[in-house]
Amino acid sequence: MLRFIAWRLVQNVIVFFLFLTVVFFLFQAMPGDYTKQFIMNPKIPPEAREQLKERLGLAGTIWDQYAHYIRNVFTGNLGVSFEHYPREVWSIIAERLPRTAVLFFVATMVAFSWGFPLGRYIAWKRGSVGDYGATVMGVLFYTIFTPLLAIILLFVFANQLGWFRSGGFLNPRFWIRAGVSPQTVFMFLIATVVGLLLWWGASHLAARRLGHPRSRKLMVRSLTAVGLGAAVWAWYGSGLGPYGGDIVWHMVLPLLELTLISFGGTMLLMRDSMLEVVREDYITTARAKGLPDKVVRDKHAARTALLPVITSFVLSIGFVLSGGIITETMFSWKGIGLTYLNATLQQDFPLAMGCLTFTGILALTAHLVADILYALLDPRISY
Amino acid sequence: MTTKTNTYRFEPLWRVRLRLFWRSLKKNWGLFWESRIGPIGLGIILAFVLLMAAHPILMSTVWDPKVYDPIMGFDQKLVGQHPAPPSWAHPLGTDPIGRDILSQLMWSARSEFALGVTAAVITVTIGTLIGSICAYFGGLVDIVFMRLADLMMLFPFFALLIVMQSIIPMDLIKLALIMGGLGGFGGITIVLKSQALTVKVKPYIEAAKVAGGSSFHIIRNHIIPNILPISFLYLMFNVTGAIFSEAALSFFGLLDIRMSWGIMLNTAQDAGYLGAFGYYWWLWAPPGAAITLLCFAFYLVGRGLDEIVNPRLRKR
Amino acid sequence: MSLLDVSHLTMYYRTKMGDVHAVDDVSFSVEPGEAIGLVGESGCGKTSVAMSLMKLLPDNARIVGGSILFDGVDLVPLPEEEVRKIRWKGISMVFQAAMNSLNPVYRVGDQIIEAIQQHLPLSTEQAREKVAKLYTLVGMDPELMDRYPHEYSGGMKQRAVIAMALACDPKMIIADEPTTALDVIVQDRILHRIDEIRKELNMAMMYISHDIAVIAEVSDKIGVMYAGWLVELADTVTIFKRPAHPYTIALMSAFPSIKGEKRPLVHLPGEPPDLLDPPPGCRFHPRCRYATGICQEQVPEYKEIEPGHFVACWNPQRKGVADARA
Repeated sequence: MLRFIAWRLVQNVIVFFLFLTVVFFLFQAMPGDYTKQFIMNPKIPPEAREQLKERLGLAGTIWDQYAHYIRNVFTGNLGVSFEHYPREVWSIIAERLPRTAVLFFVATMVAFSWGFPLGRYIAWKRGSVGDYGATVMGVLFYTIFTPLLAIILLFVFANQLGWFRSGGFLNPRFWIRAGVSPQTVFMFLIATVVGLLLWWGASHLAARRLGHPRSRKLMVRSLTAVGLGAAVWAWYGSGLGPYGGDIVWHMVLPLLELTLISFGGTMLLMRDSMLEVVREDYITTARAKGLPDKVVRDKHAARTALLPVITSFVLSIGFVLSGGIITETMFSWKGIGLTYLNATLQQDFPLAMGCLTFTGILALTAHLVADILYALLDPRISY
Repeated sequence: MTTKTNTYRFEPLWRVRLRLFWRSLKKNWGLFWESRIGPIGLGIILAFVLLMAAHPILMSTVWDPKVYDPIMGFDQKLVGQHPAPPSWAHPLGTDPIGRDILSQLMWSARSEFALGVTAAVITVTIGTLIGSICAYFGGLVDIVFMRLADLMMLFPFFALLIVMQSIIPMDLIKLALIMGGLGGFGGITIVLKSQALTVKVKPYIEAAKVAGGSSFHIIRNHIIPNILPISFLYLMFNVTGAIFSEAALSFFGLLDIRMSWGIMLNTAQDAGYLGAFGYYWWLWAPPGAAITLLCFAFYLVGRGLDEIVNPRLRKR
Repeated sequence: MSLLDVSHLTMYYRTKMGDVHAVDDVSFSVEPGEAIGLVGESGCGKTSVAMSLMKLLPDNARIVGGSILFDGVDLVPLPEEEVRKIRWKGISMVFQAAMNSLNPVYRVGDQIIEAIQQHLPLSTEQAREKVAKLYTLVGMDPELMDRYPHEYSGGMKQRAVIAMALACDPKMIIADEPTTALDVIVQDRILHRIDEIRKELNMAMMYISHDIAVIAEVSDKIGVMYAGWLVELADTVTIFKRPAHPYTIALMSAFPSIKGEKRPLVHLPGEPPDLLDPPPGCRFHPRCRYATGICQEQVPEYKEIEPGHFVACWNPQRKGVADARA
């Protein structure tokens, strides 16, 4: 296994290198040059201009620039953004990425928690009216034109019902007197969510000590309540509550869109996977052993059927950027997808290339992790 | 006991093959029909085909080209009211620059189909070939193509489009070629390769090798025909993807083509009418619904085919 | 009272092309500790009978008539909840192709423990001990209990599945082609092991096979099935020495004998009937050399022609195998 990982990492590095090359030359070929407005500015003295060129990585021939670029990436230096000069690309990505990540993960979690049981249930009840209905619905959500869904959501919830804002990350007027940056509040939000999740996981582990399933459930629930209570108290006490709430409020609609689409896909995948498994002989054996229907479905069928779903989830992490672009644009949610799109259109090469570089690493790693995960979960597979 | 003598007349091979093909076609059609969702998808596609076919007829009979041309038309009578709401003359209303929406919708159906199917066919053809080759030869060939697939999946599609648009004017055919090419070397090879692998380990491949079949022969005559059903299945899903991608790109104004459903949405947005959702619904609902329905239809057909291709999913 | 008393069992599969008459008016009984063998070609309904007994039928199958009395309780009208309790503890099963009976993602021992804990109030520790004993019983190293199915060989998987079938001390085990997928040496070994265990534990057994040689070695009585019917039922010796039904005779004649003179093997022309649309009268009549007029019109009655020997034929043969070889 370790040999496999090592060999794959080597391959990944090579692919990454090729990827960077492709990206670099592709952007070089793009029309227009944002930097001209800096470089051509007559007010800048020549020495400063040279320095600027250096700083922006534009000195020397194209091959020098290429070498420079590659070297920089491998040392972790992604350069300075043209558009947001003089902010470093890294800092921009670090600011925008969590927003996309939060949307992505929460949407996937919710979609999974609905899609998994539903897919499992309808596959078990193959051929019923519910099966067809759910399948058609799943396909509809999966294939709906994303901007259309966004328009519909905005129309219904923001426009007609007035429940939510029609886009953006936060309400600027509300924040004028805030005294704390939105980024900080957002990071606190993330910290809370992650913390609660970990707490929930830990409560499960702690509850394992107890023998009886009922007392286990009780322990998990009470610990979770304690955790939630602590979180609410912390938010309230720090006075950041309303600001956090504002961000969450803006998050609902893009989240809804991503969740619906993801839900369709997850449910369909789970159903297909289950149907493959249900025909296996070991399912008949499990029934023959006198196990209750639900146990057969969940412990035997779903467990094996889950494998493709999990690996597909891991793989989709690599597409966090492209997956979110449309949603982020429609809802003006400043995540990494929107950032990349704007950067490309405005010819802010360092930023665009930085986003791509980051995505490249993420996707390649996700692919490797998915393969490893598959080997871990299915004892038949080993490398 | 008498034995009947079998008078065996030699039937030409092509006739036998045709008969078997016809028989399996009938059986598969029965299965497809049974899946219930497959025919729904097919029905929707047929509806769009009708739409597509009706347009030139309408243009040459009832509709005045100067008014109803999807790109250049303009309705003088309603000047000042564009975008005008639906009426008898314009069943789906007009867009901000005076063109009939229904006409645009019907005309674009043709290019959407062309784009979707072309891109999907290219993708699936390349994917099938490469998947088979990777499965059969394994080793370095396999590794190279799998990493290439990784690279293709990462490929900055937008950036490429922008570059291409600056070099050569982009139209739907070229877009289809690019999408098809990128897709063909991408994720689909992984899927088709794993299918080809299940074929490769079958005994008849071994038998073919022993009988002296060359690699080319085995791949062409044994592996590829056996994964064609799956390829055909993925063709449907790829059509969905291609139509969706083009629509999204057009909508965001990243594609410089003359007319498509995405462009219709883009026109509406550029003119600022998307913000007032309820009032100008005929600007975004028809193209949006068209895109969704066509993608939906192809996906359903794909799922219907899934039942044929994957016997495990069938009811008994 | 018999342990198992099947009476006029009839089961159809509902397909879009019509009803498949998989099991038609089958009756037999099994005493505690007795071994019955069900023989017949592929598609004759033997597995369908077994699945009906355990009520493990697919959704489109229906038991349309008859009764299955197990320990005095009729299983046919019994609700799923109650049937579950009887499964594995009353009757357990060893399926065809054991390799697929084990879930690949769980350890083998855990799967047996799961069966045990479903029916018996044992702690995990106690269950593990039981599994270890079972493994020794079937001739395997108890250490193997913590391995995964893909780490077992074919013979080992078969033994594991047998161990699993024994786990809840059932009163009866159904073994469906228990050794077909194995090579002859392992086949022989396992078959005899099963027989020894059965006698030790005084369990009833139903062997299902198309291989009459295998059945004959381990069964007390044999039932011959053809096209969904039980055409003959008698103890093993009688079946071999005095087969009465023409199909049984054909089965017996299909064997070369080591002793005795050389002779050409008798074979049966034709094919089993399509169970969607079976022929009228006796289902065997198109292939039967003794068929008469009545065979084409009326379904033969299932009669006891001598004590313990049942035949469903209008012209049961008295002289047996020797006659067929003439």
